[in-house]
Amino acid sequence: MRYAPLLLVALAWEAAPRLGLVRADTLPPLSVVAHAWVGLLVSGDLVSQGLSSLENLVAGLALGIVVGVALGILMAWYRPVEVLVNPLVRVLYPLPRSALIPVMILWLGLGAASKIASVFLGCLLPVVLSAYNGARGVDQVLVWSALAAGASRRRVLWEVVLPAAMPEILAGVRNALALSFILLVAAEFVTGQRGLGYLISFLGEGGVYDAMFAGVITVSAVGFFADRLYLMLMGWMLRWRE
Amino acid sequence: MARMKALRDGLLRWVSILALLAAWEMVARAHVFTEFLLPSFSAVMTRLADDVISGELLPGIGLTLYRALAGFAFAAGAGVTIGILIARLPLARWFFDPLVSIGLPMPKIAFLQIFVLWFGVFDSTKILMAAFSAVFPVIVSSAAAAEGVERVMLWSALSLGAGRRHLLWEIALPAALPQIFTGLQVALPIALIVEIVSEMATGGGGIGDAINMQMRFADSPGVFSGIVAIAIVGSILVKAMELIRRRLLVWHPEAAR
Amino acid sequence: MTDSGIFFREVSHTYRPPRGQPVLALDRVSLEVREKEFLALLGPSGCGKSTLLYLLGGFLPVEAGSISVAGRPVAGPGPDRGIVFQNFALYPWKTVRQNILYGLEKQRRPRAEREQRTRELIELVHLDGFENSFPAQLSGGMKQRVAIARTLAIDPAILLMDEPFGALDAQTRALMHEELLAIIRRTPKTVVFVTHDVREAVYLADRVAVMSARPGRIKEIVETRFPRDRPEDVVRSPDFAEKVDYLWQLVRDEAIIAQGTRTP
Repeated sequence: MRYAPLLLVALAWEAAPRLGLVRADTLPPLSVVAHAWVGLLVSGDLVSQGLSSLENLVAGLALGIVVGVALGILMAWYRPVEVLVNPLVRVLYPLPRSALIPVMILWLGLGAASKIASVFLGCLLPVVLSAYNGARGVDQVLVWSALAAGASRRRVLWEVVLPAAMPEILAGVRNALALSFILLVAAEFVTGQRGLGYLISFLGEGGVYDAMFAGVITVSAVGFFADRLYLMLMGWMLRWRE
Repeated sequence: MARMKALRDGLLRWVSILALLAAWEMVARAHVFTEFLLPSFSAVMTRLADDVISGELLPGIGLTLYRALAGFAFAAGAGVTIGILIARLPLARWFFDPLVSIGLPMPKIAFLQIFVLWFGVFDSTKILMAAFSAVFPVIVSSAAAAEGVERVMLWSALSLGAGRRHLLWEIALPAALPQIFTGLQVALPIALIVEIVSEMATGGGGIGDAINMQMRFADSPGVFSGIVAIAIVGSILVKAMELIRRRLLVWHPEAAR
Repeated sequence: MTDSGIFFREVSHTYRPPRGQPVLALDRVSLEVREKEFLALLGPSGCGKSTLLYLLGGFLPVEAGSISVAGRPVAGPGPDRGIVFQNFALYPWKTVRQNILYGLEKQRRPRAEREQRTRELIELVHLDGFENSFPAQLSGGMKQRVAIARTLAIDPAILLMDEPFGALDAQTRALMHEELLAIIRRTPKTVVFVTHDVREAVYLADRVAVMSARPGRIKEIVETRFPRDRPEDVVRSPDFAEKVDYLWQLVRDEAIIAQGTRTP
């Protein structure tokens, strides 16, 4: 089976602390962590913090996708928009996205707004770029034949450019998805108020390491499955391609 | 003609950036937002200069850079090695493939607290965290690069008398270098970001820590100047990698245009 | 005296893809290549002619049957069998000069000798002035000339060529035919030349071995030696057209079979 090595890792994780190869307080055995995970679930902490994280993530990501795709395509299609927005993109591109977190906190405080804003701004750029490239890369022949058939520029945009740019846009959104998780967790570490990132720090500082590990695994698993789900969605949306 | 166009594009780019900065300055001075929300560009730059002169900024940047680059170096060494092993040894592929495909989409920053538990809040934690995050793209691109080496290239070397050792170092690695280097170019910014975030979350000096402090003291110009500093450092690193790429890969078709 | 030719005896080869069924590529091929002879392996796509070449070159293991060169079985690649590939297989990070030098370096020849030989070869293939160019800066024909020079550098007794001119346009190909013949005339070698182009095979080779569609067998061997004093006359001679026609019929039947059994 393809994922068999994971079983090996799981076995090692269980065995090593029990055999005394590593200290059990720095690496609790897998079963202990699993037990703590159930504990978090039952107590409701996992769900409530998890939902808080998810809300902010989805809000920021959705905003980023909608605004990003719109901006990117408009930039590719209407020259004045490009001239206006291009310098902004160029300046912000080399900036590490998480550097914006402190600014957001400065402006919006330690609550949900700054986290959503951090995710939004961080994901915006990759989506804008992929939408822009996707729209620009559209086969000119498709565009010309649609225009020649009498379609208005606006219709061509919706019915020709957008679908043709889809593969590239979807690839950019995949990056944005991964980025959104990173930014959210980072923001939660820094703001330290609510969410899974906060839960992990809190448990870590309190010395409840088995639950902390459970939290980390949860976050990683959610990130992984989100990516997998997205790939399936992407495959379905692009099923007309070979 | 092509050079003229490149020159014109470059000029246009600078003009638009200057226009943007001018707009920033004007909006700030017009007090559309408060001083706190949007310090003027000149205020931020003055603050930046002050920090450099007072000797506060540069050591911080140096520390951040040191950790990020150390983490990147580990990621590069380990990543290329593992990637090549994956390509050449079925056992390595069987073991690492699932680990890498799981690790790649994970928000590895979540592991920060685990690293803190294991290694404390010192440099090594941040370096390892940066390395852990950056190693995955290097592995993926190195494995793909090593696999993609044309077998006829290897065969021709064999018939010219190359031994196994020669094949790896003299043929496979140079052939794989372009793609490996692309992976490295992706990994470097990751190492930098993760390093900075680690500093924001755990302190210990460096630019991320400084920005975090300034944020807590509501020192708006400080935060902005810190971000400008990071942006400058980030673009210098990216530019440096591009220059290195151009020199190392002077033979590549993409350069022959 | 040891027989210095190449002997294929009942050579079979099964291709085992990572996914899917194993396929019999070669079925008990027996063939003799005489010393200093130019033999063409002609056949439709997929008939295994390249596989036969790779087995001779030692790049694939001989699992069934035997191949011997100069009385000894083939046990792996070696400097006695130089190979030229269709897509040149040049080392793009090395200059023309460095590419040609590679084999000489591996043989640890003294520096002066290496330089001298490289210079000779660059002249031989008419690439003077391009010693320090990178392959990306060369045309297809030039790249193939570098590949040939690189292989000839270590003076192999046997030259294996896997559709070497397939990637070139028709005019370049014609020029390369002449250059190759000129080179062989100067330094005679045993040449095993794989192609699917009937005219090329008849023009260049002393004998043409026609292979069947997969699984590959030797269908027939035809003598195609022509007097070489006036190359233009060769192509115009009725003998030439006759041979091409005959071989084309042989290949055509196999090509049709190959098309039919081709798996998508």
